[in-house]
Amino acid sequence: MTDVLQQILGAAVAVAVALLAAVAYFWVSNWLLDKTFGTAADTGTGSARNDAIRGHIRPWLFMFPALLFLSIYLVYPVIETVRLSLLDNASVGFVGLDNYIWAIGDDGFQRSVFNNIMWLIIVPSLSTGFGLVIAVLADRLWWGQIAKSLVFMPMAISFVGASVIWKFVYDFRSEGSEQIGALNAIVTGLGLPPQAWITLPVWNSIFLMVILIWIQTGFAMVILSAALRGIPEETLEAARIDGANDVRIFFDIMIPQIWGTIVVVWTTITIVVLKVFDIIFAMTNGQWDTEVLANLMFKWMFVNFDYGRGSAIAVVIMLSVLPIMIWNIRRANAEEGTR
Amino acid sequence: MRKLMMAGISASILTAVAASGASAQDLIFPKGEGAFSWDALEEFAAAHQGMEGQSLSIWGPWREGGDQEQFVTVLAYFEDATGIDVQYGSSENYEQQAQIDAAAGSPANITILPQPGLLADMASKGYLVPLGDDMRQFVSEAHAAGDSLVSLGTYDDPDGNATFYAVPYKSDLKSLVWYSPDNFADAGYEVPTTLEELFALQDQMVADGNTPWCIGLGSGGATGWPATDWMEDLMLRTHSPEDYDAWVSNDLKFNDPKIIEVMELFGSIAKNDEMVAGGAAAVGTTDFRESPLGLFSVPAECYMHHQASFIPSFFPEGTELGVDADFFYFPAYEGKDLGKPVLGAGTLATITKDSEAARAFIEFLGNPISNEIWMAQSGFLSTLKAANTETYGNETLKGEGEILLQATTFRFDASDLMPAAVGQGSFWSGMVDFVGGASAEEVANDIQNSWDAIR
Repeated sequence: MTDVLQQILGAAVAVAVALLAAVAYFWVSNWLLDKTFGTAADTGTGSARNDAIRGHIRPWLFMFPALLFLSIYLVYPVIETVRLSLLDNASVGFVGLDNYIWAIGDDGFQRSVFNNIMWLIIVPSLSTGFGLVIAVLADRLWWGQIAKSLVFMPMAISFVGASVIWKFVYDFRSEGSEQIGALNAIVTGLGLPPQAWITLPVWNSIFLMVILIWIQTGFAMVILSAALRGIPEETLEAARIDGANDVRIFFDIMIPQIWGTIVVVWTTITIVVLKVFDIIFAMTNGQWDTEVLANLMFKWMFVNFDYGRGSAIAVVIMLSVLPIMIWNIRRANAEEGTR
Repeated sequence: MRKLMMAGISASILTAVAASGASAQDLIFPKGEGAFSWDALEEFAAAHQGMEGQSLSIWGPWREGGDQEQFVTVLAYFEDATGIDVQYGSSENYEQQAQIDAAAGSPANITILPQPGLLADMASKGYLVPLGDDMRQFVSEAHAAGDSLVSLGTYDDPDGNATFYAVPYKSDLKSLVWYSPDNFADAGYEVPTTLEELFALQDQMVADGNTPWCIGLGSGGATGWPATDWMEDLMLRTHSPEDYDAWVSNDLKFNDPKIIEVMELFGSIAKNDEMVAGGAAAVGTTDFRESPLGLFSVPAECYMHHQASFIPSFFPEGTELGVDADFFYFPAYEGKDLGKPVLGAGTLATITKDSEAARAFIEFLGNPISNEIWMAQSGFLSTLKAANTETYGNETLKGEGEILLQATTFRFDASDLMPAAVGQGSFWSGMVDFVGGASAEEVANDIQNSWDAIR
């Protein structure tokens, strides 16, 4: 118990010190800047020039800590990963593109790519779809807010936590013994034999996707719900006066107006899906053909300790996330711009 | 200044996480009482004077809620004898952490790991400190099947020279068959002492309308591993230890007829509906923790269960070992001259950052006291001949310890020795495919292919 207290105390102190340090940095650097390139009150000369210099330097000064940490924790690791991916397992000899060529021919890699594509198609579409439907329908119910809170709640659960919960849903006990898994309890209750759900290839991947959909639907719902609120009431009224029914309004009036938001939600979930690791790691560790790229990378990196192949897979993941990410940011910027 | 302060804070947080282990604590067994080798401890203390105030960091697999409590009680005697301050740490993924710490140049003084394969990898990268000829000599003489243990701790250094790096500490015994003495007595079965008798017994059971075995391979992401223990035990009983070693190093290919023969021998049990509870289909999906429960159901779902020494933790509550459940040594063929092979696993201690205190600790692990203190508690088997078997906490441990001491051949769990991509990957999943219906040739080829893909 004292250990926990000590940790909490340590963390609180660290946060406070970091905050103070950050404030001190901005204040002191700003003061120094003003001091160095201040407008000299006595002469009045060169003040315009100094103003211009200050204007040029200040943004860099303020961005410097962020740039520094981004370089250390983001840019440098990316460069290092690319470098490692061109070296052998112990990062000693240069092997060129061998690691990538190996990956293309490797069964495990191919299966992971296939599974990732399945995840990419199914999870973002269903999460966004469910999120949208719930956002629209919940607004019409008196208990809509409660429903929305419940749907949003899984967002607060970590992926590993969610996996543990769903392990109990999919748990399997041999036929005849009492089923503690919710799904098998239902199945045996209906008089059917219990199934070891997470060992049935293809279906098991879908059972794992359900976990992520369960988590991400809340995210999609909240963002889309906000977007729906932003739709001008007049357009809906005009449609109603013109005699459009609810389905027609939904597809022809609402969707086109929030299309930009739908796309952003979709791509955001897509990026989450490309990086999905925790669920696979906790549920199957890639067995029974459920392997995905991120877990495969972890295995080669930290189980097999082949830094070359692990890094090559990491680079593949990064390259596949990159275009979606750039597009997503552009899209988000454009959204901002129109407002 | 700010940097210093931050460093200080993060360091204090780190120590709070890692060092929640050994601190000044009472000795669990008072010195001078019981069957413990107190003289050996005194000798050790006398030989290691003047080390007060030195510190020693240890990284190992035993975590809180697991075996950490017991290990810490052992450390207390080391601290008491030498005055060295020991910091013990572990984490959920301690294997990765050990490797990463070594790669980052900040390893603990002592690293203890249960995978010789991983240690071999670390040795080849130059992360381990050679223990020297004297220590090798000591291990070979002081331990049962000492030469097997020496080769277990000998790996190639970065230049490819075989060097002794690791000493054994704490063993698990795998060559055990668990059964219910009551059920055996009721059905009139005798404990088999040879593999021929065991096979005759299982046929007898089938003829009587009983099911001989409970086998469950389920273990979440590690599903399949119990079958690798079966394979290894059968391998040691059908082929020579040299073949076993060649299999581990892949000099004997995984799809060699010898291996396929062993796999089919396992298949003759696991893939035979009459031999296993629930039929062959249940083998791959039954959780290994649930599997032994069949021994205790009424009527018995099965009569025998092959599993390592840890399995009683998963027996039904209130099961009294020696009465409700007991074990026998998984016997060897009488007709083959392969001695009494024992399959085991265990942890090995290495020096990852040299110091006087680290050397003293490695010596301490060869002192009977370091073994006996844990033996007297739970779940610890010792190969050290000087460790007094009278100190074992119960009869079951003592019986297991004796099997270990009588072993003529000791071999380490092969899957832990193989490269991780095989031993913790394709071997596991291959065995699941095998009991699921794939042929031995198919599975053996797949596993060999995955081995060829490693470099």
